[in-house]
Amino acid sequence: MSEYDRIGIIFCDPPSGYTPVDLSDLIIFVRDNLKIPVIIDQPRYLFSDFHVLMETIRHHRLTSVILAGIRPERFRQIVRTAMTKLGYQAESVVIADFGDTWCVYESQVQNVYELLERVHSQVVDKRHQSSHIQQDTIVIGAGIAGIQASLEIANAGLKVYLIEKSGTIGGHMAKFDKTFPTLDCAACILTPKMVEVGQHPLIELMTCSEVVAVNGTPGHYKVTVRQSPRWVDVKSCIGCGTCSEKCPVKVSSEFDEGTTMRKAIYMPFPQAVPNKYLIDGEACRFIQEGKCGVCVKVCPVTGCINLYEVPREIEIEAGNIIVANGFKPFQASRIDRFGYGKYPNVLTSLEFERLINAAGPTGGEITFRTTDKKGNSVFVNDSGKPQKIGIIHCVGSRDENFNPYCSKVCCMYSLKLAHLVREKLPSAEIFEYFIDMRAFGKGYEEFYCRIQDEGVRMIRGKTARVDQIDGHLHLRTEDIIAGRMLEQDMDMIILSIGLEPADDQKKLSDILGIDVDEYGWFKAVRYEIDPVRTNRPGIWIAGVCQGPKDIPDSVVQASAAAAGVLQSIMSDRLTDSEVFPLTYMIN
Amino acid sequence: MISRVDPEFKQELHKYGLREWNECFHCGNCTAICPLTKDDNLFPRRGIRLAQMGLKKQLVSSVDPWLCYYCGECTETCPRNANPGELMMVLRRYLTSCYDWTGISRLFYTRKIWELAAIILIALGVIISFLVFLPPSPDLFSKPQAFINEQGGVMINSLANGISASRFVQLIEYGDLLMAILVAGFLISNIFHMFYRVILSDRNLKFPFYSYFTEFWSLIYNFVTQARFSKCDNRTYWIGHLLVMTGYTIMFTLIVAFLKEFQIEEIKPWYHWQRLLGYYSTFGILFFLIYTFIGRIRKTDLKMQFSHPSDWMFIVLLFFTAVTGILIHIFRVSGLPAATYFTYLIHLAFLVPMIVIEVPFSKWSHLAYRPFAVYFDRLRRAGQNRQSIVELTPAI
Repeated sequence: MSEYDRIGIIFCDPPSGYTPVDLSDLIIFVRDNLKIPVIIDQPRYLFSDFHVLMETIRHHRLTSVILAGIRPERFRQIVRTAMTKLGYQAESVVIADFGDTWCVYESQVQNVYELLERVHSQVVDKRHQSSHIQQDTIVIGAGIAGIQASLEIANAGLKVYLIEKSGTIGGHMAKFDKTFPTLDCAACILTPKMVEVGQHPLIELMTCSEVVAVNGTPGHYKVTVRQSPRWVDVKSCIGCGTCSEKCPVKVSSEFDEGTTMRKAIYMPFPQAVPNKYLIDGEACRFIQEGKCGVCVKVCPVTGCINLYEVPREIEIEAGNIIVANGFKPFQASRIDRFGYGKYPNVLTSLEFERLINAAGPTGGEITFRTTDKKGNSVFVNDSGKPQKIGIIHCVGSRDENFNPYCSKVCCMYSLKLAHLVREKLPSAEIFEYFIDMRAFGKGYEEFYCRIQDEGVRMIRGKTARVDQIDGHLHLRTEDIIAGRMLEQDMDMIILSIGLEPADDQKKLSDILGIDVDEYGWFKAVRYEIDPVRTNRPGIWIAGVCQGPKDIPDSVVQASAAAAGVLQSIMSDRLTDSEVFPLTYMIN
Repeated sequence: MISRVDPEFKQELHKYGLREWNECFHCGNCTAICPLTKDDNLFPRRGIRLAQMGLKKQLVSSVDPWLCYYCGECTETCPRNANPGELMMVLRRYLTSCYDWTGISRLFYTRKIWELAAIILIALGVIISFLVFLPPSPDLFSKPQAFINEQGGVMINSLANGISASRFVQLIEYGDLLMAILVAGFLISNIFHMFYRVILSDRNLKFPFYSYFTEFWSLIYNFVTQARFSKCDNRTYWIGHLLVMTGYTIMFTLIVAFLKEFQIEEIKPWYHWQRLLGYYSTFGILFFLIYTFIGRIRKTDLKMQFSHPSDWMFIVLLFFTAVTGILIHIFRVSGLPAATYFTYLIHLAFLVPMIVIEVPFSKWSHLAYRPFAVYFDRLRRAGQNRQSIVELTPAI
């Protein structure tokens, strides 16, 4: 600390209504222990005359001010103004709030001493602290938000570690057929970005990986990543698919939402990045029982498949972490009166999304779900075409019994699904049962009107139940606008399921030390003006993990998080308010 | 049609036990989940809408609340925890007070102290007039054998001092008659008031006159079987309700219309039809009472979660009436004349207020309003007058 670098403490006058306290002990304590100048404010003295305040600070040659007392927050602005006028940073004003009760209880005095010592040492530390920030960034979750954030940072020329739990990047967006309201092909937008991530020299993609521990300080995080085995070497695999062809184990495909089957050694989907095979450890017979090993025998590349691979832990140093772990779709079977899981042709929106996709189980044909000889539910091409399709909105959302919040995307994707049905089955009757139609974005309302014009029937009223009667799905809804009860028979029901925080959200919040809100979404400290910043400096959030949002919003937030990261790296410091809180309270 | 909106209506409904109600965002789940709604019978949501908007006139002219039997499914599945089932209950209380032209019902529902005072006053009146007109015989304690008949039972009509058995029954019958006239007078005029509000005041409603007769069967059918109730999921509640209704009606008919045959000196053998009917009623009433007492105290069953004072008043009065009735029977059979006399007195002190207060002015009146509501509803349907329904449909 140079001679000109001086910290001073100002004891503020208590607000009216508080008994003035004898500060003499405190002054002696500060002089003896902290050895810094003490300024005592008199009523209507220091803060009522800006000139006097400036003169006082100048007289003591202070470069940092600790404002102490009962609710000293009141004077922060005026002191800040004075300090900036004197050429110092606004962050040089630090609050030490004694709380409301310290003067009432004698026992609080010791706490006040501790508080002042703590604040003082923080201010001193700040001057000595190296402000150099680790330049690498970790992005958790490789959905559209994670991909966008990684590309933004990597394209700026900085190293990114992209950590993905599953075997491929892409997330939920990869499963979608079209995006609303423009009806762009989702894969056509997403796959180029995925490929870019896969080929980017500055992005180190880590699939099958999870963050298990975060240590270190803001700007210098030490992140432990646990990489589960893929059992297939990403570098040497040529993606020929021979292993998958010969693999004897069949399980339902996560990517196709269970509408198709895949092998135990598989590629999640043809456009997966990395475009390499991996083994599902829970399904593989060799890993579970020690028998089989066919894939190793047929693999043309020696040493590519290693069935004895074990998980490993890697430690990465990073200055910033962007969390973009996405969401979990609402489990429709939790509402048993809709009959999901009981009646085969009650589908979730994600299942339907796969069904209608040209790469889906039927090549894009809308058919009925039937049961095959082995008891698996399958979609087969010759099972006929549904002629009456009902789409039920708000399944699990806006419901106090499940999630009280609006999932924001369901109205729009339901309209989109209605349009896709209309395209494929022009003669089908399509009904949408909604509580409120929330078409809030640019071009969304127009999209809603367009779908109405296409002859999709909009019915205001929450469907209460679905029963299967004589092979038809019988549903009961109150048609509120027409003022009558509707009892209709449908061929197929689509449940517009809402979004929920991912399963590992709570665990992740504990590991990262960031807050979640009442529903379990990550909390932005000030969502309105800073929607990507968490309570922990250097940890940013993007995408649905912060709250339900659609693709454009997720992308926007991802770019904003990237901007925050880049700002911290370019300025070589995290904003003062992050590493260095400006208000301290008695514990 | 001019609609008057009363923004203060919510405050009024609070007195009838209303809790949450602004929670409702009109998704229509309650109407759709209800096993009883059909076509344009859109309860409970329409009732909530009318209540929210304070459309009192439309509310009073609608019979929807009476068509609901509170199975609780709407409340259970309501996405806003707005408790539509309870609102229907509140509206039934409100409608009861609206149908009652004297205003007594409103007073009892909104100020529980009045109901209590009325009950105590009537009970005291019964006790005093009983002691004045039928004073206890001084021989009750000194010579109890004098009141025992050859079967060893108490001769119930000879317990009063210097009053012959036939005179005793006659006096009680006069009392019965007075009570019946009073209660029936109020109840019938209230039903007529209901008829006026629901059917007559609706000028757009036109249906053929013969419908009054062709639809009349629904009144009888629904009164006897409570068939609509059986459509609700909880069958036990329906059976309990049916038991208490039939038990109560049988008892009421016996003591009002057939007192001379029912209250006689000799004790009939246990298999006699009178005793069997009495036992059936006792069982029915007790079964229902135990079921509701447990339900209202445990509060696990949605429909019994919130108890208005009037709910308690009714089951407590019925409980004491039933218990004293059983005690009379026991004391009679065991040959205890003094105990019989005084229990009889207490029995009347509970029975009379229960009937006078509860039947025309409070909870018991639903015994009449419910079947009449079904009847009126069918009359309205007979008109097939869509226009009135459109007018009832709230604007969104």
